[in-house]
Amino acid sequence: MEEEKKNLVDIWEDHVDIKDLSIAMGLCILFALGGYLIAPGNGPQSLIFGILGGVLGFIISSIMIKPKRTIIETWEDE
Amino acid sequence: MDVMIIFQIVVAAILGAGLYTIIGIAPGTDETAVLAPVTIALALLGISPYVILAFFMSAIVAKKLTDSIPVAIAGIPGGVMAAPMVEHAMVLKSYGMPDVSIRKMSSGSVIGTLVSIPLSFLIANAILPFADKISSYSGLIFFLGTVFLALLSKNKILSLVIIVPFALLIQGLRHLYWGLEIIPSDSTVFVSFFLGITIGPIAFSLFELLNKDHRRKLPRLGNKEIHVNYSKKVKELPNPFKVLTKKESGTAALGSALGSITFFLTPVGMTVFLGEFLTRHIKDPVQRASRAISTMDALTNASYISGTLIPLIAIGLPLSPMAIGPAAGLFNAPPIFTPEHNIHHILSMGEIMLVSIIGATIALLITFYVTIKYATQICSFVFKYIPHEALIGLFAGLVVMLAFMDAGWINIFGVILVALVSGLLHRYGVNYGVMFMILYAAPWLLGLFS
Repeated sequence: MEEEKKNLVDIWEDHVDIKDLSIAMGLCILFALGGYLIAPGNGPQSLIFGILGGVLGFIISSIMIKPKRTIIETWEDE
Repeated sequence: MDVMIIFQIVVAAILGAGLYTIIGIAPGTDETAVLAPVTIALALLGISPYVILAFFMSAIVAKKLTDSIPVAIAGIPGGVMAAPMVEHAMVLKSYGMPDVSIRKMSSGSVIGTLVSIPLSFLIANAILPFADKISSYSGLIFFLGTVFLALLSKNKILSLVIIVPFALLIQGLRHLYWGLEIIPSDSTVFVSFFLGITIGPIAFSLFELLNKDHRRKLPRLGNKEIHVNYSKKVKELPNPFKVLTKKESGTAALGSALGSITFFLTPVGMTVFLGEFLTRHIKDPVQRASRAISTMDALTNASYISGTLIPLIAIGLPLSPMAIGPAAGLFNAPPIFTPEHNIHHILSMGEIMLVSIIGATIALLITFYVTIKYATQICSFVFKYIPHEALIGLFAGLVVMLAFMDAGWINIFGVILVALVSGLLHRYGVNYGVMFMILYAAPWLLGLFS
């Protein structure tokens, strides 16, 4: 295995990269707030667009950012 | 209720169970943070209260069934409530029995649900005659609740001292918004302050990262190592009552009953206390661990369900840690639900009962099947493809948006302020519950000074 870089910090019980975290937060806030603001009409529509925006941000950041977990899998034979 | 509503209830329950099976497994997801915003959003969207209740009941049952799975497989709690189980699950894992853990925990959950739903209705009925008295003194009762939870906090003195200052922060911001005519004087800011408290601890840690000195001092870590153990495929679906021994079922049922009766106490505290207390006498480590995890899982489930249902049926005010936290949306999501007009007032007792039973049953059927069969697969999917950064980002996005919705741009900063203060208090041992209670008690409490 290649030399592992140690540049992660522990937030909320899991390890994150500060730069990736800023990107993910930026994206989600931008899309959620943006969705809310550009929604046509008032009331529930704004909220729906906002939530969809947040989820879109979540999906984009999930694709862009690699989870910082090493998974070691073992199989039981019997 | 007509056929159309029942159909919607069933669909909502299926969606709730599916969504929260996945969220339950994601490590570190706090119950309040993942349940309350969604319930509140559903309420604000104008969705039928029947459907919201079914969704919520299904979601908590599913989340409670699944948040202990990563504990069994990887020793990582999937939620705050699963933390007490880590130690016992690790014992079973070290004996190479993570699949046994999962089956015992899931069966415990089933027992907890089955015991607590009927018991909640009995307890609620017993409280019902006093309900009018209780709700006419709601301000005072929230204040007494605050003091009560403060005395259960890790840091009792700070929790007591902070009651009035924290109420000042909440009411101060509200009066500022009224004074600046950002919101009309007949409306109030609730949801975003509530979420501010919820994300307090994590917001505080994030703001700390902005400090260079602090960043330099932090331990730098590599990837988090997670050991996933694949066990042989389960061919037949086990009967939850046969997975547990008679004694285990008995202790789980007893734990669930005690957890339901103490619905007004903090669920994590009760889980640790009763879970250890009921299993302390067992010598054999494997037997003790499996008794402990089945009991604890039953208990968390029971205290969650009863903490939601009893105040909902009997009083209509959020008078339990569960009701002021994760279930807050069922009691207060202004302008749709208010303490004077919420699910308690809209649905009859029989309707609440029927909808809860449908929601919980659907969640049990789907989630029990899925967890027993595919637990390891779902776990590795979540660990491999869902980055923690994206989850935190999503919470941040939703909180900022809801803050804006409540009272415009200025409230984004108001919520940051609330979050920082509550994060700091939380770090110094003030219970979440204390701050949530202050949020409800603040108008009455500060009214005393006028």
